[in-house]
Amino acid sequence: MAAYSTELPIRVDLDEAHTEIAARWAATGSWWSGLERLAIVEEVRRARDSAEIAPWESPSEIAGLVSDGHVLPEAAIDAIWRVTNHPGTLTAEWHASILGRGVHAEAYVELVAVVAQANAVDRFADALNLDRVELPEPSVSEPAKTSGVSLQVTSHWVPTAKIKGPNVLKALSAVPFENESLSLLSSVQYVRLGDLLSDLVSNQNSLSRLQVELIAARTSKLNECFY
Amino acid sequence: MLLSLSGTNQDAQVSFEAVGDSESGDGGVEHGALLSRLCEAIFEEDGKQLASLKDDVIEAAGADVLIDAVAVSANFYMMTRIADSTGTPLDAGTVEPSAEIRELVGVNTFTSRREAQA
Repeated sequence: MAAYSTELPIRVDLDEAHTEIAARWAATGSWWSGLERLAIVEEVRRARDSAEIAPWESPSEIAGLVSDGHVLPEAAIDAIWRVTNHPGTLTAEWHASILGRGVHAEAYVELVAVVAQANAVDRFADALNLDRVELPEPSVSEPAKTSGVSLQVTSHWVPTAKIKGPNVLKALSAVPFENESLSLLSSVQYVRLGDLLSDLVSNQNSLSRLQVELIAARTSKLNECFY
Repeated sequence: MLLSLSGTNQDAQVSFEAVGDSESGDGGVEHGALLSRLCEAIFEEDGKQLASLKDDVIEAAGADVLIDAVAVSANFYMMTRIADSTGTPLDAGTVEPSAEIRELVGVNTFTSRREAQA
């Protein structure tokens, strides 16, 4: 099924990738169930669509913003809103406070990955006035909640595996399934990650690499990302 | 950083005007100022301004360019959140070479600067 119904000439590979990403959101993760992962995406959408709250305010502390019996813990909901709406304000102390409220370090990595993907996919749809990708039914199996790889906290706040490549690609290495999703989205919305530094001249679809990097840099600056 | 490297690899005269703001020209990139304004409108989510800029991009470069440009910009709502949420440090060997660029582009006041260089 196509992700988007539109007269705009959206590339087939891009449309198919967004359909696949939605299916991956609904799959059982390493630390969150399919139901919880879809709840993360829905919470990203609520955070974006609600009246903005200040970085120092938490949705769990504002009456009426978080329903009783929410499938996600309050610390996770607070993290989703903060990462979605105020990513440039995040600090090591804030990260430690989220873990201190009971979110497992690797579950946090998986949550960040899903939040980040949902921001990318929905921002694309919103900017082009498309209906956001429909969410599939969640997988019913339970997450294993165990590490599949050897991890250490070294260069990042979060535990990482020993993998090669830029530090931003190492960031999600604790949850390999999410690095696969990152690679899938990047290959259709930016450049194939394997070509990131090895091919700096080839056009990317209708854009020159210079145009791609200008858009990347301008968007990163607007989001106040120093990296 | 990759804009600079890509320009060097193509012998292109790239400057960073269009990264810092959209009022200073194309920076040596075809439609650079227009694409920079498109990024601003996507960020600000101003429907009227965004609609106008999308029309401008289609007229100047075509619908394919509009879609691909929106896709690239949207991708960096993912990358920036991953970097900022995980305390991703700058890569070894990039701090010094990119210092001048970062000063020019004006990113040294960001909260994430202190975290990325920690």
